[in-house]
Amino acid sequence: MATKVNEKEKVLSRDFPKYVRDIIKDPGLDETVQKLTPEKIEKAYNAVFGKLSSRVKAIIETCMHCGLCAEACQWYLSNDKDPTYAPVAKMRMTAWELINRKGKVDKEFVKQCARIVFTECNICHRCSMYCPFGLDITFIIGLVRRFCFLLGVVPQRMMEMNQAFMATLNQVWMSQNDYIDALLWRDEEGAPDLKGFKIPIDKEGAEIVWFPLAAEPKSGFYHIDRIAKIMHVAGVDWTMCSKEGWDSSNMPMFIRDFVTMQRIVKGLFESAARLRAKRIVLTE
Amino acid sequence: MGFLESTALYNMLRGPLVWLAFIIFIVGSFYKVYSLVKQAKGEKVVLPFINFRSFIRSVIHWLIPFGSRSWRLRPVFTIITFSFHISLVFTPIFLLAHNLLWYESWGISWWTFSESLADIFTIIVIIGCVFLILRRIFSPVVNFVTFKSDIAFILICFFTFLSGFLAYHQWLLPYKAMLNVHILFGEVMLISIPFTRLAHMFYFFLTRAWMGSQFALWGTKDW
Repeated sequence: MATKVNEKEKVLSRDFPKYVRDIIKDPGLDETVQKLTPEKIEKAYNAVFGKLSSRVKAIIETCMHCGLCAEACQWYLSNDKDPTYAPVAKMRMTAWELINRKGKVDKEFVKQCARIVFTECNICHRCSMYCPFGLDITFIIGLVRRFCFLLGVVPQRMMEMNQAFMATLNQVWMSQNDYIDALLWRDEEGAPDLKGFKIPIDKEGAEIVWFPLAAEPKSGFYHIDRIAKIMHVAGVDWTMCSKEGWDSSNMPMFIRDFVTMQRIVKGLFESAARLRAKRIVLTE
Repeated sequence: MGFLESTALYNMLRGPLVWLAFIIFIVGSFYKVYSLVKQAKGEKVVLPFINFRSFIRSVIHWLIPFGSRSWRLRPVFTIITFSFHISLVFTPIFLLAHNLLWYESWGISWWTFSESLADIFTIIVIIGCVFLILRRIFSPVVNFVTFKSDIAFILICFFTFLSGFLAYHQWLLPYKAMLNVHILFGEVMLISIPFTRLAHMFYFFLTRAWMGSQFALWGTKDW
């Protein structure tokens, strides 16, 4: 149902009058931001932007603010070419402002940063393809995401997904029993269709190890026997891993939680190494 | 006006300040590029990913007018920016009067543009500066991200070329005064290249090397 939005119900930015958005309530942003103190913000700033890496330096010192990246951004194009949606504008409102003020910003600014980097950029790298200098704008957006993550100011859904990964190493809170059970069930379901059909679990020395997305054993389980059938008919020597660390979706990457990101990738490679598989296949 | 016209100022600008400007420009530029590459080397996540072949491909596509999709999408901007930058870089190098100064000082010289051609190039730079400033004012995206420094770069460049043009035609101010103004702006421009974002003339190759290699890694082209 389309409701008419009152002018007073818009978010107005103090620093950037042109940045006007509808109010969206998100406990992940609204509540966490209340706990921030200037010291915490500055500490997080120093951790991320304290010593600028060569890539950040190159981007800041090369960008001529020409605005060619705007044409690449789906957010900009689908919002009637609103200048505040241009990639360079997002950098200007978040990272540059943070660096200019040396991290001395207030809660509202952090909230606005989080809103821009989490909900108005998909980190798709198209802007780098349109930039004459090939500047990695999304890298900067990622750094600001890291800054917001260190402060805990992350949209609730993204944070919850991340917590699922922290606890279970998959994004759907699936227990190991459920996972193995799902594989065995799909093995049974597929068996009548093809002769000699089997989902090989923990087969050592197989050529390929396939890591599904967590959604597949949880809700899209038919994908598992479909892939298994393709592998079977293609005559591939393959296997699936039963131990923890089988979910190939790396959602913590989107909020730049480096520790969990590393646990996932390390888990996948260790699983593959334990099974002595030659290649890893992931679901996209 | 008397000071601007004075030979003392001319001697100062033509003598020690030229040396200073060129030394700062050359040493500063080398230092900027060297320090950035050295820092990147220390970080260990940049240099191992540089792929020389894709770097060259990327640079060539972006240095050719209409060689990339971004250029093709904005034909007017592309034509103006390319003629602006080409004129900006090559006019000072191949100008007859500048060549004569080199010849007088060190007895060296190289090819030169004819004076009418140099005039056209200078006018292109001046028109380009005006276009860029208008764009900064009237294009909403560019206007939103315009800092004072952006206008300052364009004005430095604009006044350097305008004063050179006026000095050559001996308009507006007396010749000597205009010449001194021109030399002064030229030296300011040379000095500011390494320390401001005008360094994009060198960093272009570094950032393109990084992104060209990244896109090659992802199996796609970045033009």
